[in-house]
Amino acid sequence: MKPMAKAISLLSVSLVLLFGVAAPAFAGEELVLIVSSHSTIDRLDSPLVRRLFLGLTVTQNGTRLRPVLNETDPHIKELFLQNVVSMSDRTYDRYVLRMTLLQGKTQPAAYDNSADLISAVAADPSIVGYAWAKDVVHDPRIRTLRVLWQE
Amino acid sequence: MRQLLFGMPTRWQALVCLALLTFLSVDPALADHEHSSGEFEIFVAAESLTGSGQPQPHDDDSWLNADIIFGLTHDQFRVFGEYFITAQEHDLERFQVGYELVPDTMVWLGRFHQPASAWNTEHHHGRYLQTAITRPSIEDWEDEEGLIPQHITGLLVESRRQLGSEAGIQFSGGAGAAPALSRDDYKPITLVGDNPGRHGVSLTARLAFLPEYAGTSSAGLLWGHDQVFTRRLVASSDLRSSHIGLGVYGAYADWTVDAWRLIGAAYYVDIQLDHPARDESFLSGYLQAERQLPHRLTAFGRVEGSARMQESSYVSLFDDHSADVDVTLRRQAVGLRWDYARRQALSIELDHVVSLDRPANEARLQWSAAIP
Repeated sequence: MKPMAKAISLLSVSLVLLFGVAAPAFAGEELVLIVSSHSTIDRLDSPLVRRLFLGLTVTQNGTRLRPVLNETDPHIKELFLQNVVSMSDRTYDRYVLRMTLLQGKTQPAAYDNSADLISAVAADPSIVGYAWAKDVVHDPRIRTLRVLWQE
Repeated sequence: MRQLLFGMPTRWQALVCLALLTFLSVDPALADHEHSSGEFEIFVAAESLTGSGQPQPHDDDSWLNADIIFGLTHDQFRVFGEYFITAQEHDLERFQVGYELVPDTMVWLGRFHQPASAWNTEHHHGRYLQTAITRPSIEDWEDEEGLIPQHITGLLVESRRQLGSEAGIQFSGGAGAAPALSRDDYKPITLVGDNPGRHGVSLTARLAFLPEYAGTSSAGLLWGHDQVFTRRLVASSDLRSSHIGLGVYGAYADWTVDAWRLIGAAYYVDIQLDHPARDESFLSGYLQAERQLPHRLTAFGRVEGSARMQESSYVSLFDDHSADVDVTLRRQAVGLRWDYARRQALSIELDHVVSLDRPANEARLQWSAAIP
C-alpha cells in the first residue's frame, strides 16, 4: 500500500502545483473605469459606457467624452468585449468600422502600453478608459468611476 | 488643355490634395489638446467574375476597387468624405460638412447617399463590410444604370433618439438636388466637375425603429420623391416626357438574432410622366439571410424579385440592348465568406440572374479588406 499512497500523494501535489500554476495571474483583480482626477464626470452607467465605446456621442456636464481602448493585455480586451460592449471581437471591430463608413466617426484610440494609456487619461479630462485597479489605485492623477469586472 | 488628375480640374487637385494631407497629418498631441481627431480608412477589394450569358461587368465588378474614407472631427463639427476608385472610374462619392446640434443629431451639407435606400446607407461603396459580393439590383448606383437616384447634393439631417429604456428611433431626411437623367443613366451632381442639365428637387427620408439604441438591428419605412429632368432629347423621346416625378415608398428590416442576420427591403416605385399624362409603377424587393458559422465563416443567400418592370418605359430606358447593360428582374444568390485574418476576407458568390434581355449565371470570387 505504501507505494500506492506515495503515488497518490505525488499526484495530489502535482495537481495542486498544476492548478496553482494554471490559476489566472489576475486572480483577485478588478477592471475599473477611469478618468482624470481633473474630470468633472461623476458617474457613467453601463448603457452610457457602452454607447461611448460604440462610437455614439456621450456628454457629461457639457464635456464630450472620448473613449480609449486598453489593449495592453489580451485578458483586458476579452473582459472589455464581454462586460462593456457585449460583442465578440469580430463584431465590435466591424461595428466601429461601420461607424467610420457611415459618418466618418473617429475610432477609439487604442493603447498597448499601460503607462501611456494612464498618462493619456490623466492628461485629458474628457477621456474615459479602463485599466486594472492595481495599476491606478495609487495614482493621484486618476480617478476610478466604477468597477467593470472583478475576480 | 488642362492636365487632369482623376478627371479633376487643376484647382480641385490642389484642394483635394491639401484636404487629404491635412487629414493625414493630424498630430496626435495637437489633436488631443484641441479635441480634434482624424480618421482615414481604405476599404479595398479585388474581384474575379466569370459565367455565362451575363453582360459586360459593371463598374461595381471592377477587378480592383478602393473606397477611401476620411473624416475630421473637431468638437461638434465634422468633415467627412468618401472617394471611390476603380479601374474605370474615380469619384468623390460623398463629401459632407456637418454640425452635431445635440448628441446623435447631425446636420450635414454636401453630397450624400439618399437615406431612403436600405442597402446603400448601410454599406455605401465599401465592400469589406458587405457580406455578399453583389448588391441588390434595385440598389445599384446611378453609373451602373441604377433605377433610383442615390447621390443627392444638399441638406441631410440624421437623428437618433432614445425610446424607452433600451430602444431608439432613428430619423434621416434629405433635401437637395436630384440627378439629371441622360440617355440611359442618371448623372448626379459632381463636386469636382461640370454639371450639365437641369437638376430637380429630391426629398428623401427614413424612419426606423432600433430595438437597441446602440445596436445594429433596425426596421423602418422609406420614402423619396425626386423631380427628374431628362438631359438628352433621345431620353425625352423614349419616354415621351421631359420631366419625371419619381416616388419611392418602401419598408426594410436589417435584423440580427444571435448568429443570424436578415436584410430585406421592398420598394414601390411610382413614375409620373407629364406628357402624355400617364403613370407607371413597379415593385422590387429582396431578402438576404446570413448565418455565422464556426471558423469565421459566414454563409449567405439572397433572393431578389420584381413586378411590372418589363412593362415600364422608364425601366426600358436604362436597358442597353447592345448588351453592355442589362436591367435585372430577378436574382438568386448564394455564397460563403471567410474572415481569414483581421480585417481581411475571401468571398465566393454564385448568382442566377434573369434580366430584361436574358438569363445569366455568374460566379464571383472576392478578396476584401479594411486598411489599416
